[in-house]
Amino acid sequence: MNLTPAMLLLVSLCGYAIGAAGGMLLLRRERPANVWCFGVAALSGLSGLLAALLMLAGGTGTGIPQFELFRPLLPYIHFSVRLDALSAFFLLIVSLLGLAISLFSLGYAKGFFGRKNVGVLGALFNALLLATTTMFVAGDLWLFLIAWELMALTAFCLVSFEHEKAETRKAGVLYFIMSHIDAGCIILGFLLLFQASGDYSFTSLHDIGAKMSPGKRDAAFLLFLVGFGIKAGIVPLHIWLPAAHPVAPSNVSALMSGVIIKTGIYGFTRVCFDFLGTPPLWWGVTVLTVGTISAVLGVLYALMEHDLKRLLAYHSIENIGIILMGLGAALMFLHTGHPLLATLGLIAGLYHTINHATFKGLLFLGAGAVLHATHTRNMEEMGGLIKRMPQTAFFFLVGAVAISALPPLNGFVSEWLTYQALLQGFGTTESLMRLIFPLSGAMLALTGALAAACFVKAFGITFLAQPRSAHAEHAHEVSLTMRLGMGLLAAVCVVLGLFPTQFVRLLDPLTQQIIGQQLSAQLSLANGLVLGSLTAKGGTVSTLGLASMALCLLPIPFGLWWVFARKTKVRRGPTWDCGQRGLTPRMEYTATGFSKPIRMVFKALFQPHREVQREYDFSPYFAKNLRFESHVEEVFERRIYRPARILILRASRRIRTLQAGSVHAYLLYIFVTLLALLLFAS
Amino acid sequence: MPANASETGSRLITLLASLMLVLQLLVVVQRMLITNIRLFALQSLLLASIATVVAFAYGAWHVLVIAVLTLIGKVLFLPWLLERLVRRIKIEQELRPFVNMPASMLICGALTVLSYVVARPFTALERLGSNTLGVAITLLLTGFFLMINRRKALTQVLALLTTENGVILAAIALTTYGIPLIVELAIFFDVVVAVMVLGILVFRIRESFDSMDVSKLNELKW
Repeated sequence: MNLTPAMLLLVSLCGYAIGAAGGMLLLRRERPANVWCFGVAALSGLSGLLAALLMLAGGTGTGIPQFELFRPLLPYIHFSVRLDALSAFFLLIVSLLGLAISLFSLGYAKGFFGRKNVGVLGALFNALLLATTTMFVAGDLWLFLIAWELMALTAFCLVSFEHEKAETRKAGVLYFIMSHIDAGCIILGFLLLFQASGDYSFTSLHDIGAKMSPGKRDAAFLLFLVGFGIKAGIVPLHIWLPAAHPVAPSNVSALMSGVIIKTGIYGFTRVCFDFLGTPPLWWGVTVLTVGTISAVLGVLYALMEHDLKRLLAYHSIENIGIILMGLGAALMFLHTGHPLLATLGLIAGLYHTINHATFKGLLFLGAGAVLHATHTRNMEEMGGLIKRMPQTAFFFLVGAVAISALPPLNGFVSEWLTYQALLQGFGTTESLMRLIFPLSGAMLALTGALAAACFVKAFGITFLAQPRSAHAEHAHEVSLTMRLGMGLLAAVCVVLGLFPTQFVRLLDPLTQQIIGQQLSAQLSLANGLVLGSLTAKGGTVSTLGLASMALCLLPIPFGLWWVFARKTKVRRGPTWDCGQRGLTPRMEYTATGFSKPIRMVFKALFQPHREVQREYDFSPYFAKNLRFESHVEEVFERRIYRPARILILRASRRIRTLQAGSVHAYLLYIFVTLLALLLFAS
Repeated sequence: MPANASETGSRLITLLASLMLVLQLLVVVQRMLITNIRLFALQSLLLASIATVVAFAYGAWHVLVIAVLTLIGKVLFLPWLLERLVRRIKIEQELRPFVNMPASMLICGALTVLSYVVARPFTALERLGSNTLGVAITLLLTGFFLMINRRKALTQVLALLTTENGVILAAIALTTYGIPLIVELAIFFDVVVAVMVLGILVFRIRESFDSMDVSKLNELKW
C-alpha cells in the first residue's frame, strides 16, 4: 500500500473523531475511556505527523493534496481540505504536540479518576485536536471559520473543565468573550476579502489584496491583526492568556500554549503573506512594534509571577512577540522588495513557532507533572523536587534552556535567525527601518536576558534546595507515559537545535509557495553542519559544533582534578549556617525575593503594591508579628479593560430598556427591521 | 410537457395563490379561534394544491413530496392538534387586539401593496403564475403583523404557520427546481417542531399565569 499525505491526514482526522465519539460512549468507565481517548489521539497525531513530514520532505515538486469532506450532504457549500506547504507545517506542529501530549495525558488524566469525568475530558481533547487540525488544513472560508469556532468552543469547555472553582469559571468566561471578539473581527475581515474575490476558496483569495482598494485592504489588515492577535495573545489583547492557561488541566494548557495560540500565527501568516499582497510599510512596522512590546512586557510580567503555570503563560506572550518580530521584519522586506531577506524573516518566525510549540509544550507538561505530584501551582511551596522527581526535573531543565535561547538547543537557533533578519534590515535605505530594526534587536536581547533570569528563578525555586512545604516533601516521580510525553518533546528540542539546516530545508516548499524563494542552500554551509547567513557580515553558527565542543571540554575538569587534586583528602560536613541551629526551608531564597531587583528597576511599569504590618511587644527590636504583602497588577487590566468594562456595563443598562420583556415588542422590532430591509432592497 | 399544460398550470397557480391571500385577510378579521384554525387548514390545502399543480405541470416530482407533507402536516395534523388545544383550554375568542379590526384591514392592505412593489423586480424571474411572489411576501408580512397584533399565544402560533406558508409559496414560485429538497424539508420540520413546542408552552403559560395572554410574560423578566 502506498501511503499518501492525503490519506494519512484523513486517517488522522477520522481518528480524532473516533476518539471523541469513544470518549462520549465511555462516560461511566474512566479507565477504558482514558486509554481509548488518549491512545487514539496519540495514534492520530502520529498519522498527522507522518502526513506533514511526507508533504514537507517531498520538496517543491509534489502536488498539493486536496479533497472534500461530506460532499453530497449540502448544496452550495463545499468543505474542501487543502494541504499546501503552510498547512503542512502547522499540521506538523499540531500533530507532534498532539502525539506527545496524548502520551502524557495517559498518565496525567489518572489524577482525575473518581473526581472528574475522564470520558468528557478525553472526548473534548480529541474534539479540540480535530477542530484545530481541520482549521489548519481547511481550503476554504466555510470550513476554516466553522473549525475556528469549534476550536474556540471546545477550548472553552476544556478551560472550564474544573468548573467547580470560581477562578476557573471566571477565566473561562473571559476566554469565551475574547474568542467572540476575535471571531467577529476575522469574519468581518474575510467578508472584505470575499467582496473582492466573490469566491470562498483559499486559492481564489490568493493575492486578492491587489484587487482591493487601499482603504479596505488596510481595514482588513487591522481586523485580522486584532482577530488573530487575540488568539495569539499579543499585548494588549493578551489578558485571557494568563487567566485561562493556568486553570485548565495541564495537558490542555500545553495544547493551548503549544498549538491554539499558534492558530493566530497561522491565520496571520496565511492572510498577510498569501492573501493581502505586497504590504505597505506601516503594516510591517506595526507588527514588529507590537511584537517587540509583547516580547518585553510578556517576559517582565512573567518574572513577577510565582504561579508556575501563569509564569509560563506570560512567556507564551513573550514568544509570540518574538515570532511576530520575524514576521514583521519579513513584511517590511516584502515592501522594500527584498524577497530573500523577507524569506529569512519568515523562516525565523516560523522556526520560532515550532520551537515555542515544542519547548512550551514541554514546560507545561513539566509544570503539569509537578502539579500532579505536589497539588500546587505556587512556586513558593515547592523546592527540592530534583531529588524526588529527577527525570521530570531534567526534562524541565531542557525546556528551560531551550526557552532561554541558550545554545545548542532550538530556541537559540530561531532567535539567532531573528537577529539575523533584524540586523540585515540595517542595510536598507528606508530611514524608518534603519531606526526600528536595531531598536527591536536591542529589545530582543533584553528579552532574552530577562527570560534566562526568569527560568533561573523558575527552575531554581521549583526544583532546587529544600522542599518548602509538605506537598513538595512528599512528591514522587510521575508515571512512565507522562515521562515519555515529556521526553519526546525534549528530544525534539534537541534535534531542532542540532540540525537547523536540515529543518530549514523542510521549510523550502513553504517559502517557495509564499514568497517564491528558497533559502536552505544559502543558509547551509559545510554540508549542512553550519548555519550561515545571507551576507558575509552576518556571521555563521553551528550548534552541532558547539555541542561537540562542549562534549570535548567536559572531560577537562575531570582531567585537571585527576592530575592535581586526586590525592587531597575529601572532607564532608554540614553547610555553614551562620551559627543558626540547622538550615530550614524558611531561610531559602524565595521567588519574590529573587525577582525583587527587576521589580525595582522597572518600578514605573509594575507599580508594585507593598504593605508591611508589624506588631511589637515592647521594643521595635522584638517584633511579635510581621505581615508582609506585595503584589503587582497588570497595567492593562487597570488602564484599559476595567474602564472598558465599566463603560460597556453602563451602556448595557441603557440598552436594556429596549428589552421590555414583551413578546409583541420583540416581534415589532423584527417586523420593522424586515420592512426596512425590504424597502431598502427594492 | 406540452406548452398549454404549463399555461393552464400557471393560471391555476395564480388563482390558487390569490385565494390563499383572501383567506389570509379573513384570518386577520376573524376572532373565533376555531374558525381561524379552519381557515388556516384551508389555506394550507390551497398550498398543497399549488405544489401538486407544479409537480404535474412541470414534472418537478420532488415538489410532490412537499405537497404530501403539507397535506399531512398542515391540513390534517396541526389543525387537529390546535383544535384539541382550544377545546382543552376552553377559550374561543381572541380579545382586544392591539389594533382594531378595520385598522388592521387597512394596514394589511398597505402591506399587500408594499409586497407587490417589492416583488416587482423579481416577477421576470418567476417561472410560475404571475405575482405569486407578491402573494408570498404578503402572506409573510401579514402573518408577521398578525403575530404582533394578537395577544393570545395560540393565534400567534397560527400566524407563524401562515408566515411559513408564505415562505414555502415563495420557494415554489420563484425557484421550482432551485431550492433543494433538503432545505424545504428542514423548514417544514422546523415549523412542525416549533408548533409542538409552542403548543406545550401555551398550555404551561395558561397554567402558570392563568391566562393565555403573552403580554403577561414580562412578569418573567428580572
